[in-house]
Amino acid sequence: MKEIVITNGLTKRYNENLSVNNLDMRVKEGRIYGFLGPNGAGKSTTLKMLLDLVRPTAGEIDIFGKRLTSKTRSDILRNIGSLIESPSYYGHLTGAENLKILQTLLGVPKKNIDEALRIVRLERQQNKKVSAYSLGMKQRLGLAGALLSFPKLLILDEPTNGLDPAGIQEMRSLICSLPDQYGMTVIVSSHLLAEIDQMAEDIGIIANGKMMYQGPLKLLHETDKSKNLEEIFLDLTGKEVSL
Amino acid sequence: MIRLLKCEYKKTRGRWIFVMALVITAAQIAWGLYGDYDSEFIIKNGWMSFLYQLPLVNAIFLPLLSIIVSSRLCDIEHKGAMMKQLAVVADRWRIYDAKLIYGLAIVLFCNILSWSASVICGYAVGFEGDVPIRLYLIYLLFTAVPTIAVYIFQHTLSLLFKNQAVTFFTGIIGAFCGLFSMFLPQLPFLRRMFIWGYYGVLQFVGMFGWTKETRYASAYFDVMDFNWIFFGVLILICIMTYIIGKLLFCRKEV
Repeated sequence: MKEIVITNGLTKRYNENLSVNNLDMRVKEGRIYGFLGPNGAGKSTTLKMLLDLVRPTAGEIDIFGKRLTSKTRSDILRNIGSLIESPSYYGHLTGAENLKILQTLLGVPKKNIDEALRIVRLERQQNKKVSAYSLGMKQRLGLAGALLSFPKLLILDEPTNGLDPAGIQEMRSLICSLPDQYGMTVIVSSHLLAEIDQMAEDIGIIANGKMMYQGPLKLLHETDKSKNLEEIFLDLTGKEVSL
Repeated sequence: MIRLLKCEYKKTRGRWIFVMALVITAAQIAWGLYGDYDSEFIIKNGWMSFLYQLPLVNAIFLPLLSIIVSSRLCDIEHKGAMMKQLAVVADRWRIYDAKLIYGLAIVLFCNILSWSASVICGYAVGFEGDVPIRLYLIYLLFTAVPTIAVYIFQHTLSLLFKNQAVTFFTGIIGAFCGLFSMFLPQLPFLRRMFIWGYYGVLQFVGMFGWTKETRYASAYFDVMDFNWIFFGVLILICIMTYIIGKLLFCRKEV
């Protein structure tokens, strides 16, 4: 299977603090890649580097077979949808107006707004001001924004943060349906093991900026059958790390 | 760029930015044009008296206008944590330019509005003679360029800092420095140090012949030298502020 995202020796240093350390990431096309790690492990920094929001200290990023540089960034990012650290959008505008702004910037057809709203089940609240939205509705609006261009690659940073159990379940089933329905590749980060376990086909486990495991989730389950996934995860990330 | 400008318009709907700009301009016009229009001295020297007194009023109101417009335009991105989203779907330098163009359009429109008000007021009151159009056009230019310099500076601060108090206080302190430097004509270097002081640096009409004894009886206004050298310096400051501001914004990690 073709690898859609490849990073080699990706490193990010903030002063003395090594946030991401020599990370080699491989994401296969059409799959859901769970990016798992404790808080502060370097997940968000890695995803921001993939989106060119943060410049790597060292290493390379290839997406869709192209090296991410200032020259190629527009071409690459045009095919990526993202939800990073839950934007709260323009509160004085309605959900539909917020999406209209993104639609104008992306230059995609207007009908994509209705389609994205339908997918995230936000059609009935689309004319409500975003300042009146609940956290769950804002998250769904964020996902609608990420889906607006129906991108090849979707990058979601902790998309279930702050949602209630029903909302988490809804978001999870929504994300799981994307590769089959729209042929998207999804990278979803989380610090919750159970969440990734139910969504991802491939997994990357990161701790202290280092990739501790990468491969099919199924294989991880099979490595040591005497241990459950949580024990394996704690072994990989260090027992001092609590989830 | 057109798309980004369209989006700026859509984003600012319902934020009252334009209305706030108009309110400040109305206050500026009211303050600037308030005067004793029954006085023979004013009727005789009205056109020149405006050119003499309005730069001071501009030094008070235009920095304030720049602070409010730039801060309101950029704050919506910070409040909604939208900078990350925008930076993914558009080039950062375009975001910087679009917001700058949109904000400058509002501020310069207000400049033209207050300039037009002074001309209309002069005719309405019945100042002697025709409006010295060449001097008024130079005055408009010498008002617009310091405003552009101040706006670029405020715009950059508003984009770089989430906390708009930083922008506000820097702008207010700068405006005060610029304004008070105008009260110290014996220290010309002082006003040249602050971009806010250039409303005074570029002032080209002076009042002469005023003494305690004769007061306005012997006073008259006259055109001094046009300070084209410092006009050029200010253009350079605008270009430098723009380049540095844009680089800082484009290099900032979000």
